[in-house]
Amino acid sequence: MARFHNRKKKVFVKPIVKKQQQQQPNVDHITGNKIPKSFVFSRGKLPGPLRQLQMDLRKLMLPYTALKLKEKKRNNLKDFLNVAGPMGVTHFLILSKTETLPVLRVAKTPQGPTLTFKIHEYSLAVDIAQSQLRPRCPQDLFKNPPLIVLSGFAAANEQLRLTTTMFKNIFPDIDINTVKLSSCQRIVLLNYNKDTKLIDFRHYSIRLQPVGVSRRIRKFVQNHQVPDLRNLQDVSDFVTKAGYGSESEADEEAATVTLTSDLSRVNRASTKSAVKLQEIGPRMTLQLTKIEGGLCSGEVMFSEYGNGGNEKKPGNEEGNEKEDSENDGQMEDSDEDDEADNKEDMEESEED
Amino acid sequence: MVMEEGSTAVGKRKRNMGKKKVKKPKNKKLKMLEGKGKKLRVSKKMRNLFEKRARQYNSDDDEEEREEGEEALGDTRIDRGADNSAEESDGSEEDEIQPGVMKFTDGVRAFRLAFKNIIKRNVADDSLGPVLSGHKQLVAKKLAEEEAERKVKGEAKKEKHLVAEKGHVKPANYLDSHEKFLIGIATKGVVKLFNAVNKAQKAQKGLDPSRSKDAKVIRRQRKEAFFSELGKTSRDSSSKGNTSSDPRNEEEPAWAPLRDNYMLTNPKLKNWDKTAEAGIADDAGRMSEDSESDD
Repeated sequence: MARFHNRKKKVFVKPIVKKQQQQQPNVDHITGNKIPKSFVFSRGKLPGPLRQLQMDLRKLMLPYTALKLKEKKRNNLKDFLNVAGPMGVTHFLILSKTETLPVLRVAKTPQGPTLTFKIHEYSLAVDIAQSQLRPRCPQDLFKNPPLIVLSGFAAANEQLRLTTTMFKNIFPDIDINTVKLSSCQRIVLLNYNKDTKLIDFRHYSIRLQPVGVSRRIRKFVQNHQVPDLRNLQDVSDFVTKAGYGSESEADEEAATVTLTSDLSRVNRASTKSAVKLQEIGPRMTLQLTKIEGGLCSGEVMFSEYGNGGNEKKPGNEEGNEKEDSENDGQMEDSDEDDEADNKEDMEESEED
Repeated sequence: MVMEEGSTAVGKRKRNMGKKKVKKPKNKKLKMLEGKGKKLRVSKKMRNLFEKRARQYNSDDDEEEREEGEEALGDTRIDRGADNSAEESDGSEEDEIQPGVMKFTDGVRAFRLAFKNIIKRNVADDSLGPVLSGHKQLVAKKLAEEEAERKVKGEAKKEKHLVAEKGHVKPANYLDSHEKFLIGIATKGVVKLFNAVNKAQKAQKGLDPSRSKDAKVIRRQRKEAFFSELGKTSRDSSSKGNTSSDPRNEEEPAWAPLRDNYMLTNPKLKNWDKTAEAGIADDAGRMSEDSESDD
């Protein structure tokens, strides 16, 4: 019995790990440029699919965005703007619903300008994953900001030029001398169609595959799994026997890069790798309808429905903005109470 | 039991069963009351009332049970009353009882009649509603109404759903030509960037980045190399850029925000893809401007 008494009770104390508050830097430590950050939120109540689209857009804007930004009904634009300043948020992506089509507004804070796009068509990331046989989502896909490719914007339209500058600045710059290719995992493509005046918005994941290696060997190197040799006469067959040649491989010769440094186990330095893109969504077809000088206000610099500020704006949008501005005016007194809450909310969400 | 002959057998049995349960305790109560009667000094009037109630209660019961009740009460007068009720059940009672209780009797009779009426009615066995409900029509009507309501609600919901889904398109399983074209563009862009990055970093490979003095000079060289890769020397593009950007600014002061954006942010080398398009001069110019400001 003594043994039992002598036996010391080991008290297991769970080590208290303080949650490291990793503050995202406001400034890139290599290039010294300001890192653009963004809020994606909605004005008014969104139906289900649009809310999903908002979530997808947030994921797309990662890592410099508030993924879990919580909005309340009473939050107005000014609340967001007040939080945006101290947190270094430079861009707003605002989704809203109108009676005709959903609207995406891309605005620079705090002064604008604001671009208003009509979303003619959109597909969610889920839809796109469902349409694919093998949807691809590596773990660290969203840890780095995407690249952006703008094409077809060459027309010397002011509004198009502004659109390009806006979208270029929405993602952090890359410095080609220091950038790691392994951090380039995603790409956002904006393609302007001159004829239809629509902008195709696509989001792809980038994958590099060694060229000139049979599929079997590639898989073997990638997966570390014992290959199935049942049907082979000799081990050498595994190497020499050609697999099914993908027909797409032939016409993608242009899409090859020669790496200077090791990227992964498979993509070694000084080997040729093929660039493969796979869509991850969301997918949108946008139409630029309006440009305003301020943040969702101010003079109308461009309107799809006639140029100039004197033109009558389409009813829905006008209604929306009126509401916004009115709210801003009315809520000014009570803002201060709300601000504190909002700030906390948003900070929490940022930490996550 | 004159009255009950009219009623259906089922109803009778049911009622009797109910009575039996209630009746015995009642009798006991009465007995107790009688035993205590002297002590409590129940007035004769009250006692009469109790007796009458008991009589009425048992009035349409079987003979045996009533006899039991009579024995328990042990009163000849009640006996007579009970006999009366057994023979005529109503009518005769009204003569003897007081006006206050008359109403009670009437109520009972009315209820009895109504109840009998209901029970007499032949209702077909149907799953549509409760057994006693004769208002089959009403139930059917209600159901129809409900269905119509549901239909309207469903339509409204559908409409709402349609509005919510506006613009939502499910992509096709295959890649159509447009998607392929878009992927092609994106791939071209990625390849261009990767090649540029590789070229830039290749030159860097042998150098020591910790020696900042060297690194600065080398970086400038690298930049030049990059611009030459883009098909433009940095000198050329910078002069071009200046000429192209300045007049535009002067021409359109209304586009100040555009210009502000232009100066504030540093879109450095993001426009590598643009070289494929026609707007090379402008972009390259901007790039070089940035690079100059860096230095």
